[in-house]
Amino acid sequence: MCLLALQASGTSANITYRSTVSEVRLTFFATDEKNRGVETLATNDFAVVDDGLVIRQFRSFRRADATRLEIVVLVDVSQSVVSRFRQEMSDVIRLISDTQAISDDHLSMITFAGMQAAIECSGNCRDGSVTNRLLASHADGATPLYDALQLAGNFLAERRTPEVRPVLIVFSDGEDTISRVSSNDALHAVLASEAQIYAVDLGDPHRNADGAAALDTLAEATGGRHLFIRDGASQILHSILEDLHAGYLVTYKLPNTAVGFHSTRILPTRNLNLRFRCRRGYVYPSASR
Amino acid sequence: MKRITLALLFAAFFSSPLHAQKKLERGTIVRMTMAECIAPEHGFMAAMSGSVHNPADGLCPEYVLVADKVVYVIVGKSSGALVPLAETTKFRFEKNALLIRIDDARHEARFGIKEMVLRSEWDHVHPAVMQGMEDSSPHHVKTAAVVNDEPQ
Repeated sequence: MCLLALQASGTSANITYRSTVSEVRLTFFATDEKNRGVETLATNDFAVVDDGLVIRQFRSFRRADATRLEIVVLVDVSQSVVSRFRQEMSDVIRLISDTQAISDDHLSMITFAGMQAAIECSGNCRDGSVTNRLLASHADGATPLYDALQLAGNFLAERRTPEVRPVLIVFSDGEDTISRVSSNDALHAVLASEAQIYAVDLGDPHRNADGAAALDTLAEATGGRHLFIRDGASQILHSILEDLHAGYLVTYKLPNTAVGFHSTRILPTRNLNLRFRCRRGYVYPSASR
Repeated sequence: MKRITLALLFAAFFSSPLHAQKKLERGTIVRMTMAECIAPEHGFMAAMSGSVHNPADGLCPEYVLVADKVVYVIVGKSSGALVPLAETTKFRFEKNALLIRIDDARHEARFGIKEMVLRSEWDHVHPAVMQGMEDSSPHHVKTAAVVNDEPQ
């Protein structure tokens, strides 16, 4: 959601005019019956269901590929994970850093292991030595995944600007052993930041069903995707980039100013074979009223 | 004699179920939520008689369909009973169910009627929804009526 405040001060008198315009911004993806991205979509092909209310009138609608990105890579550096996937994670992170398609975007990195999460670098993580250093570091076995997600959500929310799209790439097996916050609190923080989660699953698919389900939930709720480290670095990056450049951005007037969570869903208006993926909702903060 | 026969055939056609099937009403879906499923045969009439039971587990889509004079709250038979959220929804009635035209191929989705409210009453109770309807559908035709659906 975007809250835009306009302020103008008179020169001859101390009069301040304030006007607050609230609109909802939704990035979403459309696929056809064969799960292929839809290249040409019109505003009358879909409707947004916002807290049950059907919205068909939009303020703006365009492809999201030109939008700048604010990327945060969240890495589980607990010993059990790093020892198994050091090379794979290093490859993906290095590819993300080096990819020309996102070279103009901000890239930050947060790690989590032991008792807490930590911001390793903020906005300028293109130096390969950062990746090498953090993956070489020794950490204990605890994994505060949800604390780290909340930290990343808050971090992205603080840096939020309307024309920059927040993206959270999470390297994890989906298991959390020590967080102080719940999974709901963590998801709430990410939804408040409007970030999409691309969850790169490091777990064993035969032994870690709960972790996979948790990552799936996080990705689905934020309109992102659940990927697997076994697919390889280039395939993972390809999937993420394909997604980031195949999306659409729609904005509409905030339907109601009830404080709290507003659910969102996008459904077709004509062709029921179309499938839409977007975040499950947004949070209207009390301070905005 | 020939004229009389033609007139009789004409009259018979317009009073037949075949013609009734083609009579579609139009409305606009203004709300969509997930709610408890009800079977169409246990819809409005059963609700009125207090004998509703829930035969299905899970949630089904519930729509608020605003027509010219009446607002219908309808519920699908399954979680996958989705209809296109176009500005204009064509529908008709069959027994206690409301059938929504899905596409040009004449496919219809059957819904149970959970609630029926006069439009004037609905507008009074749900002004925000109606305002939202006006905001979200600038081309909405308020004079929705029974129409003869021409073959596509």
